[in-house]
Amino acid sequence: MDSSAAPDRPRGPSLPRAYAIRSERERLLEAMVRTAAARGYEAATVDEVVAMAGLPRAEFDALWPSKEACFLEAYDAVVDVLVAHVEAAYHSSSGPWPQRLDAGLGALLELLAAEADIARMAIVEVTAVGEDARLRYRGALDRFVGFLDAGREISPQGESLPADTARFAIGSVVAVIFDEVRAGRGPELPGKRRQLLVALLTPYLGAERAEAEARALGEA
Amino acid sequence: MTTADDRRERLLEAMLDVVGEAGYAGTSIEGVLSRAGLYRQSFYDNFLDKEDCYLQAYDHAVEALEREVGAATAGEGEWRARLRGGLGAVLRFLDQRPDAGRALIVEVHAAGPRAVARRDREMERFARFLARGRDAAGDGAEPPSIAPEAIAAGIHSVVHARLAMREDGSYSALLPGFMYIAVLPYFGIEAAAAELQASSA
Repeated sequence: MDSSAAPDRPRGPSLPRAYAIRSERERLLEAMVRTAAARGYEAATVDEVVAMAGLPRAEFDALWPSKEACFLEAYDAVVDVLVAHVEAAYHSSSGPWPQRLDAGLGALLELLAAEADIARMAIVEVTAVGEDARLRYRGALDRFVGFLDAGREISPQGESLPADTARFAIGSVVAVIFDEVRAGRGPELPGKRRQLLVALLTPYLGAERAEAEARALGEA
Repeated sequence: MTTADDRRERLLEAMLDVVGEAGYAGTSIEGVLSRAGLYRQSFYDNFLDKEDCYLQAYDHAVEALEREVGAATAGEGEWRARLRGGLGAVLRFLDQRPDAGRALIVEVHAAGPRAVARRDREMERFARFLARGRDAAGDGAEPPSIAPEAIAAGIHSVVHARLAMREDGSYSALLPGFMYIAVLPYFGIEAAAAELQASSA
């Protein structure tokens, strides 16, 4: 075919400058995630990030004053994705609380298993960055409290259930996930779904009922 | 008249207080000296550098806490009583010195691999103690629904969250909840609920 005969591609008005900036920002954020996951936060350099994004260094410097500032923005974006993913799965189930929690947990484990870079960056590397990042990590874990504390309504302990029960449950499960991801076993996380569900349910329901709920959900 | 031992002790305590306030990265040897009210030479008489001072301060604090825990659990043979005494001693320490607690529990992650190795060792010791709850619960006790390492990590996470977010209220008030949570997987929900009532009474 004679290429000169091909019709011109339809062209709209050129994209606004703000759109182009956002798109470069997103490319750099994604490159930050991939680089920090592959090399470790300490070893990763801004030059590697811009090389992976295929953008000049000046683009990075116009957006962030430091590697840490870029990492923190990327971290916030990744946490937003994780929370939204869990939220969608949690609310997609109309069943009782253990079932909704299981749906949310399953979605989280599947996502972390499929996205090794996100898992390593958001769970392991973030702890190496500095005080600001550790505070954000803390804040990120607290964003999952609501999914857990719905269990207070059906706990036999009622009002006397300790105020920090959700932080306990989240902390015990994140420790397991951290060890698995650090050891490179992130892709096997979905195999731990039942064990982790029991760990989440136990402080609210007691071990026996937690096991029974997890068994019933596993068979369903 | 201060002895060399006094000076070392003052530096170790100042190190933890300054790290707890300013973060490990934000801590300088000058800041530690000024907090301790000592001259530069006294630092280098005792320590190679900031990391060495932090590591010695960490070990010193763990030894002091071990003595506290030992005193609180002296004569207690029973696992639950020992756990209550030990956790109670740690929480009282945090009530008295929240900045030192922040230095030991939060900032340890910023102090390098040797510090993190010490932290991992202490977490393993705590998990090993928790694991003995299964024997304490008696013959035929089911394997717990939460691994002892995960129970240790959960309790650590609550303390870490409060210290990191500077929610310094009463740490001792956390004791009934910790007892509930640690006893639950081994002794069942009724014994755990009794801990909630007993320790808060």
